[in-house]
Amino acid sequence: MKNYTFLFWGYLVVWAGLMAYFVVLGRKIANVARRLDSLEARTKGGDPTRTT
Amino acid sequence: MRRGYDVFIGLLFAATVALMPVALYLIFVNAPEEKVMGAVQKIFYFHVPIAAVTFLSVFVLLAGAAGYLWTRRAGWDHLSIASAEVGLVFCTLVLITGPIWAKPAWGVWWTWEAKLTTTLILWLLLAGILLSRAYASAPEQGARVASVLGVVAALDVPIVYKAVDWWRGNHPIVFGAGKTNPLAPGMLSALLVSMLVFVLLYALLVAARMRLAAQEDRLAAQEDAAWRSQ
Repeated sequence: MKNYTFLFWGYLVVWAGLMAYFVVLGRKIANVARRLDSLEARTKGGDPTRTT
Repeated sequence: MRRGYDVFIGLLFAATVALMPVALYLIFVNAPEEKVMGAVQKIFYFHVPIAAVTFLSVFVLLAGAAGYLWTRRAGWDHLSIASAEVGLVFCTLVLITGPIWAKPAWGVWWTWEAKLTTTLILWLLLAGILLSRAYASAPEQGARVASVLGVVAALDVPIVYKAVDWWRGNHPIVFGAGKTNPLAPGMLSALLVSMLVFVLLYALLVAARMRLAAQEDRLAAQEDAAWRSQ
């Protein structure tokens, strides 16, 4: 039983670590894409310095 | 071009997700339990592929650094950054799953034997590569320092691999020159499929991280252009 507890924590750490990194990466990509879209929209609108 | 790249990332994601349950079935259901260690030995099917992918990531980052220094094309630099970051994630998992197995098997979480110490050095080198890029005064300088650290990390990989042969230690040697395959058929298939899943996962994460690096470059260039036109 003790062995299975160690095994459980081992698997949990592996998948939690990888999934956490995957989620962080996805959020960063979405954030940069949003900033790019916003910047492109402002540039096309003729006011590249407006922040809102 | 970007659409094709997104399709590629989607295919990698689909392949990884499709194979993951197969690997879990082979590990938990099909592979026999090891006689001495019992269920805890099954961490081997994660620990070994993750370690192999860490080694792969170091060689890929080295190829990316060399390609960038040779051609000065941003794509190579993005490959180098992505592989270093994903490699650090995998190396961290190696250093966590190893002690989780070592505690029930050896009675201690950690020993300062060569295999473990050189793996920790590899982790520090990968962290150093990312820190040198993050805190360099100029991107070019950061890329240069990262390339040098990448070469040192690549030199460390064979040392990690051969550490037990050269200096002995408690770490088991399952595969090696002159050794016959000690794994039962069910164990070998579980290991190979698990290896494939982690390689696909590595490729997926590197592809996504490269996409982020390219977008960050594009954003920086557009922000720069916007301020210039002010």
